[in-house]
Amino acid sequence: MSELSVESHEREGVVLLYPSGFINAHTVRLFEGELQKALDGGCYRIVVSGAGLRYVASAGLGALMGVIEEVRTNGGDIRIAELNDTVRNIFEMLGLNHLYRIFPSEQEAVLSFREASGRGRAPA
Amino acid sequence: MTGRRRKPQPVVVLRVPSGTEFLAAIRDTTKRVAELAGCDAATAEQVALAVDEAATNVIEHAYGGARDRFVELAFVCEPDELLVEIVDDGRPVDRRAMPRVDLGRYARERRRGGFGVHLMGRIMDRVSFRRRGRCNVCCMVKKLPAAEAREAR
Repeated sequence: MSELSVESHEREGVVLLYPSGFINAHTVRLFEGELQKALDGGCYRIVVSGAGLRYVASAGLGALMGVIEEVRTNGGDIRIAELNDTVRNIFEMLGLNHLYRIFPSEQEAVLSFREASGRGRAPA
Repeated sequence: MTGRRRKPQPVVVLRVPSGTEFLAAIRDTTKRVAELAGCDAATAEQVALAVDEAATNVIEHAYGGARDRFVELAFVCEPDELLVEIVDDGRPVDRRAMPRVDLGRYARERRRGGFGVHLMGRIMDRVSFRRRGRCNVCCMVKKLPAAEAREAR
């Protein structure tokens, strides 16, 4: 079995990424590639839905950090949803929960973009 | 009982080639050893992450991505703590020079690295780096639950 798979869907102008498995230095290129595909397609509203994510090492966090400035400069954001306790703890250890909005559910993360649009401002 | 401290014995020694495809074996072994040492599943997963980060640093920095070298890991279970030693014979890396993690600056600079050592320090109770002969030695210690409970009393 592959250590990581990443599915991608688009809904309501938001790209949803579903990493499943482990993100570390060995698998991170696959995750980076899916992030980059969204950016290359002009999609800067991204939700990483982590229900299937069992483990993320700093390489995976670095992949998010490497593109967040470009995403926000283009009026978008990367939002995180459905993390298990292990992965959430890793985000919190590094303080990434202050840099990224983390939602309990994928639906809430997607809707948060609609709310931002409705108020006519860029996502936080 | 004598007052002499028993010399710790490695319970598991693992030697793997310096390819990132072996990180999964390192992670799985570390998690299992941590559980056998008395860590709960969540703590064992964190210890596995810290060791994954240390091994990744060896592969990427000490060996510069070379795949024909080896990473050696020794796990020692003491009554109060789990000790993990990660050894390589790559180029010396001064991790004391690693800057403090500044997320805002990292985002602006689009930096993808620099979190690993920080994570190791947050997860483990002690992390040290030294040279031993021609080798780099990273030593990490995690206090076991029994010791933490005693300290809390």
